[in-house]
Amino acid sequence: MVCIRKATVKDLLAMQACNLFCLPENYQMKYYLYHILSWPQLLYVAEDYNGRIVGYVLAKMEEETTDCHGHITSLAVLRTHRKLGLATKLMTAAQNAMEQVFGAEYVSLHVRKSNRAAFNLYTETLGYKIHDVEAKYYADGEDAYDMRKQLKGKQHHHHHHHHHHRHEHGGGCCSGEPKGNVAKAT
Amino acid sequence: MGASLPPKEANLFKLIVKSYETKQYKKGLKAADAILKKFPDHGETLSMKGLTLNCMDRKSEAYELVRQGLKNDLKSHVCWHVYGLLYRSDREYREAIKCYRNALRIDPDNIEILRDLSLLQAQMRDLSGFVETRQQLLTLKPNHRMNWIGFSVAHHLNSNSFKAVEILEAYEGTLDEDHPPENERCEHGEMLLYKISLLEECGFLERALEELHKKESKIVDKLVYKEQEVSLLVKLGHLDEGEALYRALLSMNPDNYRYYEGLQKCVGLYLEDGQYSPDQIDRLDSLYKTLVQQYKWSSAVKRIPLDFLQGGQFREAADSYIRPLLTKGVPSLFSDLSSLYNHPGKADILEQLILELEHSIRMSGHYPGRTDKEPPSTLMWTLFLLAQHYDRRGQYEIALSKIDEAIEHTPTVIDLYSVKSRILKHAGDLVAAAAFADEARCMDLADRYVNSECVKRMLQADQVALAEKTAVLFTKDGDQHNNLHDMQCMWYELASGESYFRQGDLGRALKKFLAVEKHYADITEDQFDFHSYCLRKMTLRTYVEMLKFQDQLHSHAYFHKAAAGAIRCYIKLHDSPPKSTAEEDDNMSKLLPSQKKKMRQKQRKAEARAKKEAEEKNEESSASGVSKSGKRHVKPVDPDPNGEKLLQVEDPLSEATKYLKLLQKNSPDSLETHLLSFELYTRKQKILLALQAVKQLLRLDAEHPDSHRCLIKFFHKVGSMNAPVTDSEKLIWSVLEAERPTISQLHEKSLFEANNSFLEKHKDSLMHRAAFAEILHILDSNRKSEAVKFVEDSTNNIVPRNGALGPIREWNLTDCIAVHKLLETVLADQDAGLRWKVRCAEYFPYSTYFEGCHSSASPNSAFSQLRKNSENESLNHSVDGQNVGSITSNGKLEAFKDLTI
Repeated sequence: MVCIRKATVKDLLAMQACNLFCLPENYQMKYYLYHILSWPQLLYVAEDYNGRIVGYVLAKMEEETTDCHGHITSLAVLRTHRKLGLATKLMTAAQNAMEQVFGAEYVSLHVRKSNRAAFNLYTETLGYKIHDVEAKYYADGEDAYDMRKQLKGKQHHHHHHHHHHRHEHGGGCCSGEPKGNVAKAT
Repeated sequence: MGASLPPKEANLFKLIVKSYETKQYKKGLKAADAILKKFPDHGETLSMKGLTLNCMDRKSEAYELVRQGLKNDLKSHVCWHVYGLLYRSDREYREAIKCYRNALRIDPDNIEILRDLSLLQAQMRDLSGFVETRQQLLTLKPNHRMNWIGFSVAHHLNSNSFKAVEILEAYEGTLDEDHPPENERCEHGEMLLYKISLLEECGFLERALEELHKKESKIVDKLVYKEQEVSLLVKLGHLDEGEALYRALLSMNPDNYRYYEGLQKCVGLYLEDGQYSPDQIDRLDSLYKTLVQQYKWSSAVKRIPLDFLQGGQFREAADSYIRPLLTKGVPSLFSDLSSLYNHPGKADILEQLILELEHSIRMSGHYPGRTDKEPPSTLMWTLFLLAQHYDRRGQYEIALSKIDEAIEHTPTVIDLYSVKSRILKHAGDLVAAAAFADEARCMDLADRYVNSECVKRMLQADQVALAEKTAVLFTKDGDQHNNLHDMQCMWYELASGESYFRQGDLGRALKKFLAVEKHYADITEDQFDFHSYCLRKMTLRTYVEMLKFQDQLHSHAYFHKAAAGAIRCYIKLHDSPPKSTAEEDDNMSKLLPSQKKKMRQKQRKAEARAKKEAEEKNEESSASGVSKSGKRHVKPVDPDPNGEKLLQVEDPLSEATKYLKLLQKNSPDSLETHLLSFELYTRKQKILLALQAVKQLLRLDAEHPDSHRCLIKFFHKVGSMNAPVTDSEKLIWSVLEAERPTISQLHEKSLFEANNSFLEKHKDSLMHRAAFAEILHILDSNRKSEAVKFVEDSTNNIVPRNGALGPIREWNLTDCIAVHKLLETVLADQDAGLRWKVRCAEYFPYSTYFEGCHSSASPNSAFSQLRKNSENESLNHSVDGQNVGSITSNGKLEAFKDLTI
């Protein structure tokens, strides 16, 4: 069947291709690089017997809140490889890493209101609960459920003191000029 | 230093800098203008104003001001720094480095400039410079963690892992015993893992393992800890410990194939080629029987034995594996099994097995030897699997009958239409393939997967406009198009580029291929922001991995396809310049020299005007670019949407050479690289470079038909050249005379003899026979009829195998199409081409190219079935009370319009 393993940088182009084939929410390569260079422990791929990437999970730690929690940025499995439990395995792997490495208290994600299959996966199989509804969250105007799942409990007190730019879907990250020290004029 | 400013203006200057850093550009501009009002020649203010304008898309003004500022204050490090920042923003890294170096000549210990310089050195892989700069930064600020890490990484990248380790140890020496604090545990743990990987890289395996154990409590990522530990144990030969650890890893993730591979290595049961002895097979079988007890829910432990088991054991294991998956209805079962088709004999066993299951379910409703009734869907999934099996074996008629039966059985399953589409594509009916993919798409308009698959099939069928309309259904972004190019959708751009190329639309094709090339340039640029980010985050192993990925980025398959596609476009442009240009040139040649000059001036003016208009449009759209969400969407207007300007390239072969060099560097083991190289350099009359291409082809695959073609063509061409006159010609000649004896294919043979010798080795292969015939014709055009007859006398033999249903013949559709094109173009025999077409229509009845009796080009085609299905679907829809949406109707109507019935 399909191998579930941590993603490497070499996988990113195939992950992007998988995302573009399967989902309407897409990201430029820089966003993928940002994820793996920030939280390399949280990206997993499903690789078939011929070495093809047939599914992935892209996840991160949310850094702009006081509580320590993870967020699922994107999850997809090729239609030809559904009904194998790949999505469950990918999500479980990412969640375990959030908890073990970063001490995440809970994990959040967004799902389209109309996406029954994904909704069922998250609620029935994985145990997520609806936390809120975000009106017009998606670019085409559709609402999203903001869903959360409590993890077993933190092993460490892990509070980030770094501040980073917020990253929206499809946006670039860490862009802009390096700050030049031009204040030394006399 | 430059002229100093009074306190008021000095504060304003600080405001400019702060505004630049916080991206409040209008405020910065205002402050700059206030200073310049009193001090109009102040170099540093002029420079900062320029830098600010650069961020407001006023680039030409920016450069003017920055250069003026520098001119007014040549000894200001600020002015040089700003100039460097400007170049950097345009990706002119080498120029930027020069500017930074000039700035440092003036202010050698400026931390900000040194840091900016180090980023550029990393980007440009100026690794020795990078080491120097990072060392200087550490010397100046040894209390900054990042400077220690940066210096260490610099040495690692500069091939000195040992030094990198020493630096990290020195850094650790500066830390307290109870380091790290809670908020730095992740970062510190990652640094330790990096250090251990460096020790491993140095070959200090024992020391690495010791360090790993010593630092266990400080390494937060326990999974990587275990993976690193087991890797070291195995390399050190501690296989028992390795085995235990792999078992522990498997208990954490029993679906990771690499852990099983590692376990097999530890118990001495792993061979790269999979050629196990009977004894090894027995031991492996025992191993996996115990593993399957431990990991009942893992599919891997059940699937891996299918790789090493043989004969009856294989059949038994495959039977156990397949049955529950057919019952459950897993669409990917065939894909999962497909690698087994490369193992001798297993495809036949699978065929027998699945047919037996089919027969039993059909007759009795349950599996052989079982009494439990199977659900009705099991037969459908069995037919689905059989269809894919026969598709793989090239028996398209049987494959289609199986999939049609499955569709008849359960017409609502989308995957059935997708597979039918794929079978039709393989059988050669790209139009019908697109139609059935569209059928699948319309069954679930919310699923982008089936939309993408449909778009791909439409592009394969050269229905580009329809494909674009279909793709666009998923790329809306509020009131803006979140278009496929912005999201780097390379598979789409490549497929549409290839379609335009097939249709002879070189402008659009080139535009698509170059769009993909730009994505790779952008991805290269993406790494820049991470050079400092990763030192702070301490994700050093992934950072180094990212740099290596970037260094090999252009080896990726998509880049290869894009570059090869672009080269083919340029070669075609060279061989057949666009008609308008040819006519224009013809008219130009009749003009007097003075009139020619005027004409060229007119052209240049027209081009300048067009450019200006495009820029003005751009500004207009910028001005009105604020969307409802308040965000500014600045999308430059495309001045050349159909690639017409791309066609005006003065020297297509020079453009092609740029991309060829990238392929030669990044895809040297691809035959295609050197085929293109040969085609390009022969046209450019670069004899020695063409010879290099031939030698590369022989190195890679001397027996390939194309290698043979290029070899003989080259020496035939050289043999017909005039005797050398100039010194360079004589030199080339002497090189050729020295090289020819080294080529074994030509050793003491004439070209005719070499061609005959090649044929002797491959007389039964269609493509080799075609290459022989082509070369025969090239060497002696009077023997064309002989060459043609030779091709036509080829035999399509039946492949020996133990298949249960029907024969398989040797020839494949792609090869037969290539032969047809050879007959019609190179050999220029229309009658022979027609005979070949008629003959191949028999072998490939679904091929639209050969107008087979079952293809879309024939009245008795899949479309009748599609129409029937449409009628059924209409009935289904009315029964369900559903309305067929306008998109559905439009999709189908559009699909029908493009059908060639």
